[in-house]
Amino acid sequence: MSITDLIPWRRKEQSVPSRQAEEESIFALQRDMNRLFDDFFRSFGMMPWRGFEEPALAFSPQLDIVEDEDNIQVSAELPGMDRNDIDVSISNGTLTIRGEKQQEREDRGTNYFRRERTYGSFRRSVPLATEVDHDQAEATFKRGVLTVTLPKSAEAKKKRITIKAG
Amino acid sequence: MIKAQIQEVEKQEIESGGPERTRETVCFVPRMDIYERDGSIEVVADMPGVSEDAVDITLERDVLTIEGYVESEYPQRYGLTYAEYRVGDYQRRFTLPDQIDREEIDASMKDGVLRLHLPKAEPAAKKIAVKAG
Repeated sequence: MSITDLIPWRRKEQSVPSRQAEEESIFALQRDMNRLFDDFFRSFGMMPWRGFEEPALAFSPQLDIVEDEDNIQVSAELPGMDRNDIDVSISNGTLTIRGEKQQEREDRGTNYFRRERTYGSFRRSVPLATEVDHDQAEATFKRGVLTVTLPKSAEAKKKRITIKAG
Repeated sequence: MIKAQIQEVEKQEIESGGPERTRETVCFVPRMDIYERDGSIEVVADMPGVSEDAVDITLERDVLTIEGYVESEYPQRYGLTYAEYRVGDYQRRFTLPDQIDREEIDASMKDGVLRLHLPKAEPAAKKIAVKAG
């Protein structure tokens, strides 16, 4: 018996080797195998449960937001989408852009060499820091770019205070 | 893992090393689908922000170059608050195989998507029958 066994907390640690036991069990092997397969498929950009035909990447448009003294302008790149498939709404100070990019018709005789474009439904929400005039909001879709213009409400507009000469 | 996937969807900037560009904007590689259907090759490229008359498609020898130019969208007085994507031009090059009929290449542009139709030509190679001597 070494001197460390006499210290209570030290002895307890050695007598409960639960973690070690689990490492050697069949579950640990299974977990390692799962991890191996996941890593393997991930390196090809696909997951085993997805199916090989489906593109592995979800379609989610990226947003840019610009503002000046009167307006906030939110734009999103949505190439190839139909204007009618895009839904823009404002509620509780949050702008939501939703839609679905339809996958094009696929014939049996289609032989793909490259698939880099993505499809699917998306939803992006932007919390608006300043109050906007809902009724005056406008959205345009041109050349595959959606632009939402939100005029700031009268209260939110900056008031410039002129300094008088004393 | 999710982060890695999202990063992949981001626009890919063109690799430097080629000839220098005369325009000051950044240049991206457009994302494309390329497939074969009914004896022709179809190329579909996402180029959001490019108008119909701002696309240049040139074929020099066997190299097909696709270029799309984006005009700056925002008026000067606007300040950028939040940015996920950058605005820039697009460029991508391909070497065409011999079977493509150079004269019949067709292109259309709609809603930021360029479609190229590259029909295959009739096989030009002539089969020579070997006569019994």
